[in-house]
Amino acid sequence: MTRKKIAIQGMHCSSCASNIEKSLKKVPGVKEATVSLMTNKGFVECDDKVSDEELKKAVARAGYKAVSID
Amino acid sequence: MKHNHKKMKHKDGNMNKREEHSEYDHKPFENEPLGNLPKPEHDHDHSSVEDKEIKSWLLKMIVAWIFTIQIAFLMFSERLFSLELLEPNIMTIVILVLGFPVIFLVGFSTLKSGLMGFVRFYFNMDSLIALGTVIAYLTGIFSLFGFMSDYSGVAAMIMAFFMTGKYVEARARGRASQEIKKLLELGAKKARVLRGNNEYEIPIEAVKIGDVLIIKPGEKIPTDGVVIKGDSAVDESMITGESIPTDKTKSSNVIGATINQDGILYVKVTKIGKDTFLAHIIELVEEAQGTKVPIQKMADKITSIFVPAILVLAVLTFIVWWYFSGDLSRSIGVGVAVLVIACPCALGLATPTALMVGSGMGAKRGILIRKGEAIQTMKEVKIIVFDKTGTITKGKPEVTDIYSKVKEGYLLEVAASVEKLSEHPLSHAIVNAALNKGIKKFKEVKSFKILRGRGVEGKIGNKTIAIGNATLMKEKKISLKGFESKIDEFEGNGKTTMIVAENSKVIGIIGVADAVKEDSIQAISLLNAQGYKTVMITGDNERTAKAIAREVGINEVIANVLPEDKARKVEELQKQGMVAFVGDGINDAPALKQSNVGIAMGTGTDIAIEAGDLVLAKGSLIGVVQAINLSKVTFSKIKQNLFWAFAYNVVAIPLAIAGVLHPVIAEIAMALSSITVVTNANLLRRKRI
Repeated sequence: MTRKKIAIQGMHCSSCASNIEKSLKKVPGVKEATVSLMTNKGFVECDDKVSDEELKKAVARAGYKAVSID
Repeated sequence: MKHNHKKMKHKDGNMNKREEHSEYDHKPFENEPLGNLPKPEHDHDHSSVEDKEIKSWLLKMIVAWIFTIQIAFLMFSERLFSLELLEPNIMTIVILVLGFPVIFLVGFSTLKSGLMGFVRFYFNMDSLIALGTVIAYLTGIFSLFGFMSDYSGVAAMIMAFFMTGKYVEARARGRASQEIKKLLELGAKKARVLRGNNEYEIPIEAVKIGDVLIIKPGEKIPTDGVVIKGDSAVDESMITGESIPTDKTKSSNVIGATINQDGILYVKVTKIGKDTFLAHIIELVEEAQGTKVPIQKMADKITSIFVPAILVLAVLTFIVWWYFSGDLSRSIGVGVAVLVIACPCALGLATPTALMVGSGMGAKRGILIRKGEAIQTMKEVKIIVFDKTGTITKGKPEVTDIYSKVKEGYLLEVAASVEKLSEHPLSHAIVNAALNKGIKKFKEVKSFKILRGRGVEGKIGNKTIAIGNATLMKEKKISLKGFESKIDEFEGNGKTTMIVAENSKVIGIIGVADAVKEDSIQAISLLNAQGYKTVMITGDNERTAKAIAREVGINEVIANVLPEDKARKVEELQKQGMVAFVGDGINDAPALKQSNVGIAMGTGTDIAIEAGDLVLAKGSLIGVVQAINLSKVTFSKIKQNLFWAFAYNVVAIPLAIAGVLHPVIAEIAMALSSITVVTNANLLRRKRI
């Protein structure tokens, strides 16, 4: 299990945050995802095998941009 | 070096300063000639993402109103004063022309994001506004052909009010995180480093571990380190909330971003970039925003299905209205009102904004909320358990009494030689006492063993030395004869008594006292007054423990507890009610985890990140009182916010469906609802904690 922090751009309302959470949780291997509109950050708990690319794609699927993951 | 240098620029607006610094951490300026270091380029580029967001909403709002005011003038002159300035069809065309830039240029990003929602099936707030305004605008075009009456002016007004609402909300959200932003800006930009005999001013990113920094009076200490020369007082209030400056001398630890007061300090750098105390604090605060307060679960669930649900509701409302009234225009108007009145934002912002303001208020006082859940649980807590050493007391015990059947010097020498191998605070006390007595050479100790919670043993030559408490002596079947009354006396005075036995015979006892922190008494009496049951847990024997408990006013004492049993004792107490455990976070980690709310005390320069739900940057018990109060006021603010957000939607949506709200009024109400929630969160600052 690892914990990753994603910096996200383009959120402006709380359904945005909740959409990204939903999209991230659909990625296989992601256990928990919370996205904060206040800090423009998402926190993901996932299996080690989940790649940053997959997470970035999940954010993009919801219509937003993941600028960095660490 | 060149490409490194380029990386210093913002790759994007969303990286915070700390992340930029980390770029440097991997690539220190090792080969850079001194004095010729690049200047950081991002100095002038400090406007944050939020500032940009606020500015962009402001611009959109102004442009939107420039056109919308003209539309409003035309519409109201007709409606209110029956002034027909223009032919109806001409007026519709004028409004359509004036409204076009408002909806399709200013509102472009909103329309795009909203309509993309329909494509991706991830609907957001914009989907509602986009649909509402586009439909209303289209009625204008259709009205030219006589199909229906004209709502196109309404479309521009909705968009203008939406922009206004977003602008005010973005500003209020920015205010909610102002303390956190201040923390981000707290770090020093430059450092004066000593290399050879020369001083160089270099950017903070170029500082390496082991560098010696010179900090003059009034200057900011650039990063964490240890004083190697000089004396001064340092204002640490910005980090720990401690208002009285702390004295620093050789080998004191200093924290980056604190302010040197009156002397010159030479500081050897121990931590840089992401590892500094300040960076850890910022990390904790940020991570806390990624945790949820359980009470928000319901709101989150609603937010996640809110927009699609409203879309369905708006369509149904339109169909039902059209079916029963046959008035297409009216039905569209009602449908649009339903679309634009519904606001998931108030619900979604209720908890995070209040938590953000609460976190900020805490951070300013050295109280860090790590888990949102803790502030909800805190309300239920009935019992507060304190670890004794380092929490209620200073954790730096000193030898106060020695009673010996042999020469005092010999006793200390033997005891210190064995204790020197242990890291326990009591051991340090004995070693320090020996050093103070002028004992410099210690004896060689073999087969050294730490007997957890009881003491230590080892061999000096052919003599077996055991040092520890009565439990240890009992275990080793060593008689305390001749020492009992002295032990009683020491313990009656709240002193921890270390019994020294040589070859299973007691040769002396050493009384060690750990002074109570200055504000422990005040803090515990405040907690007692609030109706909490206060409990102290300690490895000390009952008498010593009770003496301390009496001194500070603790209700109940659990003594003779081995470190590994603390968590179990907490579990037992949990049968009586929710328990908060206050400890120093290093050896108390299991107990902190076991408790319902773990409050970890920082020791001034180190912070126990993993252990507590709430973390105090300074080791004062008053911080515990403040943390409890902060949790309570933050949680009640969250409840208040959620109530208003629910109430708004429960009242407003049915009103819109009933058709009693004009779409523009609906939009104003929507904007006000999220502004109210965020503003209310900001009002939390008025609470005293």
